[in-house]
Amino acid sequence: MNVFRPSRSALSSSAPSSSALSSSALSSHPARRRLAALLAVGSVLTVTGCAAAAEAGPAEDITITFSSYNYGTAGAAGEGTQALLDAFAEKHPNITVVPEAVPVADVLTKTKTAVAAGIAPDVVQLGYSKLAEALETLPIQSIEDIAGDEWTDHAEGINQALIQTGERDGTTHALPYTVSIPTVFYNADLFTAAGLDPESPPTSIDEVAAAAEAITAAGHYGVYFGAVDSGKSDYLTQSVINSAGGAIVNEGGDITLDSPEAIAGLTAVQDLTTQGLQPAVAVDDAVAAFSSGDLGMLVMTTAVLGNISAAAEGNFELRTSAFPTFSDEEARPTHSGASLVVLSDDEAKQQAAWEFVKFLTSKEGYTMITEKIGYLPLRADLAEDPEYLAGYFAENKLLVPALDQLATLAPYLSFPSAKANQATVLFQDNAVSPIVLRDADVKSTLTEVADRIRDLVGAP
Amino acid sequence: MTVVLTAAPAAVADSSRGRGPRAGRAWPYLTPLLVLLFAWVYGPALFTGVLSFLEWNLTGAPGGFVGLENYARLLREPEFGQAAGQTMLYAAALLPFSTIVPMFLAIMLWQRPGRTSTVYRSLLFLPVMVAPVAVAVSWRFLLNPLQGLANEVIGVIGLPPMNWLGNPASALIVIVLVTAAKVTAFNMLLYSAALSTLDRRTLQAARLESASAWETTRFIVIPQLHKTTLLLGVLSIVLAGQWVFTNVSVLTQGGPDGVTDNVYYRIYTLGFEFFETGMASAAAAIVLLFFALASLGWVLLTRSNRRRSSANR
Repeated sequence: MNVFRPSRSALSSSAPSSSALSSSALSSHPARRRLAALLAVGSVLTVTGCAAAAEAGPAEDITITFSSYNYGTAGAAGEGTQALLDAFAEKHPNITVVPEAVPVADVLTKTKTAVAAGIAPDVVQLGYSKLAEALETLPIQSIEDIAGDEWTDHAEGINQALIQTGERDGTTHALPYTVSIPTVFYNADLFTAAGLDPESPPTSIDEVAAAAEAITAAGHYGVYFGAVDSGKSDYLTQSVINSAGGAIVNEGGDITLDSPEAIAGLTAVQDLTTQGLQPAVAVDDAVAAFSSGDLGMLVMTTAVLGNISAAAEGNFELRTSAFPTFSDEEARPTHSGASLVVLSDDEAKQQAAWEFVKFLTSKEGYTMITEKIGYLPLRADLAEDPEYLAGYFAENKLLVPALDQLATLAPYLSFPSAKANQATVLFQDNAVSPIVLRDADVKSTLTEVADRIRDLVGAP
Repeated sequence: MTVVLTAAPAAVADSSRGRGPRAGRAWPYLTPLLVLLFAWVYGPALFTGVLSFLEWNLTGAPGGFVGLENYARLLREPEFGQAAGQTMLYAAALLPFSTIVPMFLAIMLWQRPGRTSTVYRSLLFLPVMVAPVAVAVSWRFLLNPLQGLANEVIGVIGLPPMNWLGNPASALIVIVLVTAAKVTAFNMLLYSAALSTLDRRTLQAARLESASAWETTRFIVIPQLHKTTLLLGVLSIVLAGQWVFTNVSVLTQGGPDGVTDNVYYRIYTLGFEFFETGMASAAAAIVLLFFALASLGWVLLTRSNRRRSSANR
């Protein structure tokens, strides 16, 4: 379906690039060759007849589309995204960004079907759990190549581990946008009522269990680990397994989610459920219970901070602490959240998209994302810069524990192959959910699912 | 007059065999419908059949021919077999809510005409008017296991709170009941329409014979509704898996442990979540084949029954 995109771009401004694409992408099939020839003729006519238009760049008025799972949602995430769009519109009145709301669980589905239909959005907010498969299967452009000379200066200061996650074939295709890591949200009032000291939150999984036991004894729900993510992401599962000393995939690409460390990590979370310290419910139900002050601790992404803060205001004292340790080693949470990718193959739109991406990932953009939505600042110097977020962090301590753990962040790992997302969903649905919520045998379940994933992705 | 009466059946008979002057004239009327049927039904069905032999992820060009590999993979994975089984469970569970329950509701309202009956019928029909996703989301709030109204209500009578959608023992029942509320309401309307066409003479005769209300219902009313019941029953068996789709998608996504999955949701998951277009097409082809064979069996069975009853006469 890429067939139709070059013709559209040729009619607007970038005929040379479109004809190049048409000749490469359309050369194999007879029908496509005919179509390619038509497109080439169209391109030539466009170049000769509309020379002035071909010179038009992003300095001209241009419209790009932006698919975002934060846009249009109720609460801080939606309002913050709108603020970013407004700020960009003020700075770049010639670039119109048309936002498209998409449910978080459907980002990859919507984007793939849009690409197949030839109506792909120009910029996409793409979750990290879907990125590996997207890089394999979608026509994602190299942001580094689009940025050209501006790349080095712009990328300097952005968390390098996150930039590396978005690399493919040696160049950066995805820039970190809204990134969060799991943290422990806790209700200080329930801690006090249970005889616990809110000044000394639990730091290990054993201490979490002990605190949950006291809170449960006081008549409330103890703790909830959001491992069974509603968006089918495994960021919290990976954080647990990493902190227990394991990983879902080793450096050689082997599937290791059934390692003894992984079994130990998930057994510790399962024990909370079997001991009655963790309600065996869906993550949305647990968030609702925490927001209304019925749950003592919620271990979840900092992305929900904005909404939880709003719910806690006037109801209970909300505090946060670092992701707990699961062994003698320090905790190694990984991140969730999303990157920005550019799909447009139109040169003028690519430049407009770069201006947009550049703004969102600038010091100003990251500052707004932290202040208005609650995601982590991805330029290390912002938190201490009085011009940007130093004042914010002096007043808002809730993100500080997660900010401190950003330095020891474990990279988000994906299963190899273009079936990475399918493997992740299989892992979450067939292993994590029954283990954490329904008391399935940890070892046999992980072994069975690991074998299925090995078979699916063709890795040992 | 005689000529007309004798010539017309002959013309019809000829045209029914594709001959005679009228046969050619029928094509201009039939062609638009045939074109649409081919474009929207038979064409896509053929295309699906072709795709089931290819490896394709939807975004790129279709990959190579893989023979029966997609069918083999589909039958190897436990999820498809489970989804097929659950689809049959849905069909069986929804059958009484498509036939018996709406029939009795309609009969009760029909037997007591008046303003109250009209209000009651409108209230029952209300779920049909609301957007399916809005209904499902509302149920999600009501069934929240920690703070939902459903658990508050059963708590009043001393029952412990339930994890309605998270417990494999209750999730399928919940999906069936939530779907049944809508199906029952809609089918009740169809039964009401059928009741308005009852042969009044039989009802008057029953009254003259001093038949009780139950006897009138059992021996006069229900037998006259058998064609409606048969139609709604067949529709329920064929469409039950599709009716529950929205509720499964919003409330459980096929979980927990696949107990609320069904073949249609599985096809959607394979095709549009995993982009296993070949496997999704193979699953669709299997479903199509199953219903084609079931329809053929049904046609043969009814034809043989008809022949037997004609012979008995």
